[in-house]
Amino acid sequence: MSGVVLDVRDAAVHFRSRGGFLRKAAPPLKAVDGVSLAIAPGETLGLVGESGCGKSTLANAILGLVPLTGGRIEVAGRAVDSADRDSLSAIRSDAQMVFQDPALSLNPRLSIGAAIGEPLLVRGLATGTALRDRVAALLKAVGLEPDHASRFPHAFSGGQRQRIVIARALALQPKLVICDEPVSALDVSVRAQILNLLVDLQRERGMSYLFVSHDLSVVRHIADRVAVMYLGRIVETASMSVLFGKPRHPYTQALLAAAPEPDPVRQRAKPRRVLDGELPSPANLPPGCAFSSRCPLASDLCRSERPKLAARPDGASVACHHAEE
Amino acid sequence: MAAPVLDIDRLRLDIGGAAVVDGLSLSVDEGEIVALVGESGCGKSLSALAVLRLLPDAVRLAGGRILLEGKDLASLDMSAMAGIRGRDASIIFQEPTASLDPLMPVGDQIAEALTAHRSVSAQEARRRAREMLVSIGISDPDRRLAQYPFELSGGMCQRIMIAIALICGPRLLIADEPTTALDVTIQAQILHLIRQLVAERGTAVLLITHDMGVVADIADRVVVMYAGRVAETATAEELFRAPRHPYTALLLASMPRAGIMPKSRLATIEGTVPPPSSHGAGCRFASRCPLVEDRCRIESPPLVDHAPGHLAACWRSDQVARLGAAA
Repeated sequence: MSGVVLDVRDAAVHFRSRGGFLRKAAPPLKAVDGVSLAIAPGETLGLVGESGCGKSTLANAILGLVPLTGGRIEVAGRAVDSADRDSLSAIRSDAQMVFQDPALSLNPRLSIGAAIGEPLLVRGLATGTALRDRVAALLKAVGLEPDHASRFPHAFSGGQRQRIVIARALALQPKLVICDEPVSALDVSVRAQILNLLVDLQRERGMSYLFVSHDLSVVRHIADRVAVMYLGRIVETASMSVLFGKPRHPYTQALLAAAPEPDPVRQRAKPRRVLDGELPSPANLPPGCAFSSRCPLASDLCRSERPKLAARPDGASVACHHAEE
Repeated sequence: MAAPVLDIDRLRLDIGGAAVVDGLSLSVDEGEIVALVGESGCGKSLSALAVLRLLPDAVRLAGGRILLEGKDLASLDMSAMAGIRGRDASIIFQEPTASLDPLMPVGDQIAEALTAHRSVSAQEARRRAREMLVSIGISDPDRRLAQYPFELSGGMCQRIMIAIALICGPRLLIADEPTTALDVTIQAQILHLIRQLVAERGTAVLLITHDMGVVADIADRVVVMYAGRVAETATAEELFRAPRHPYTALLLASMPRAGIMPKSRLATIEGTVPPPSSHGAGCRFASRCPLVEDRCRIESPPLVDHAPGHLAACWRSDQVARLGAAA
């Protein structure tokens, strides 16, 4: 497909366990298994799911941080090959990442100006005064003072540090920014500031976001489209309004029912449907549909045959044998 | 009305002479879930630890009373406290795996909580531990009892913690961010379990959380803390419907939620929480408050009644409704 910023086709990331002395090798852990998705320019795709569903592994695979076992990932038309340093270098000027914990993303011994300017310096895109000007502009763009460039990360609060990380991610003017739980480690009042900033920056610069989060209310606020992952696979994708208005996959429905709304009247009026059981281990998936062990609609068909993602007229795709029931 | 199970009166906690909790008063009735909310550093977790006298060495209990069914825990010595913890009042934490002994089967850990306080045989303790697991809805209890924490998921470990906390039938359960480390579907299970146990046993629950969704789900009453002081307290419904403190109003307005335009600007609270050493005479929220006036910087507002059970500490609480509408 041309014109898309990110094109993931049938991507798979399997982790093999090595056998040892007197120990058989376990079957591979299928962290990501047959995932396809695409992001258009200026679009925000929300990727939601619970811990262990493979959403962060997928995000890492897009930047070549983990090798693909199968399938293909293209960023701005260029294939990601984690074994090829030149290809990775090219990808990373188009795709950047913002992680959950800004304190762990910044070198404590590097002034924030040096941290933000480093991508430009490494690529020889700016030096001296030009570099200082670019860093100042980036700091201003994320709502920080340009003369803070000489300070070190410890001098900033959590929210300010996340702004610094965002400024650094923007330095190379990427077409895609992958945000992996960017507000989960922040206090509620600071969360809103960072979400506002991400929305503003996208309006000004037109880049796309892959917004990875377990927090449905945040995804509802910021995403144009949403993909729901369960145990390495996408079970449903739809526009934000369709997904939240008319969730079709029983797992999506369970997630929406479980996420508490910050409004006691609405929250207490919601039908109580507590999903039983726990996530099976991704190293030991049930045959057929991975959700069948917890699904209220599961039938014999679900336990034997894996449902394919099938497109619906309103643009949604659902992988469920019984989605319309 | 019966006396509350927990009654905290003007609690003060100091770190190096500066008050990190300053005049916290709250009460929890039998069968009631009271949420203590606030951002990190506001003093909510220290207050919870203070109730069970589990404060780190650097924090000093500098004043106030902590009445558990009429007995002042603040004046007890440590050996008397050891008799209270786990028997009359229990606590569960955010990280269940960090609270469990990794080298002991969980069944023994539940039984130990019982034998520490009651003279029962080991066999009887094991039987009661099994009963406890059944009552909190764990299937296959015999297998679970023999397992070690590393064999269990986070949600299952938190259930084991709840079993340990409740096996002696305490009157008070303190839950410090009990679901923060869990996934939403597991969080829903644990909250459902807490709600059910409170209904069955009449346990009083002090729930420490920063998550307004959790508060909206299970709290009866809410106490909002800011920089070591109570900003506002009300029933959950009233607090969300008509907040009377600008901090509460902005906190609620800053949350992405159903019913607001996607990608619209969320309300923000500018600035940061002032450090305890810098607290002056005025309102602690003054430096970040959009409604601030001269009086706020000079004189600290007292907690005043606005409706039965609805108290707020703000000189300008009559203007707060306007703030919510603008956001």
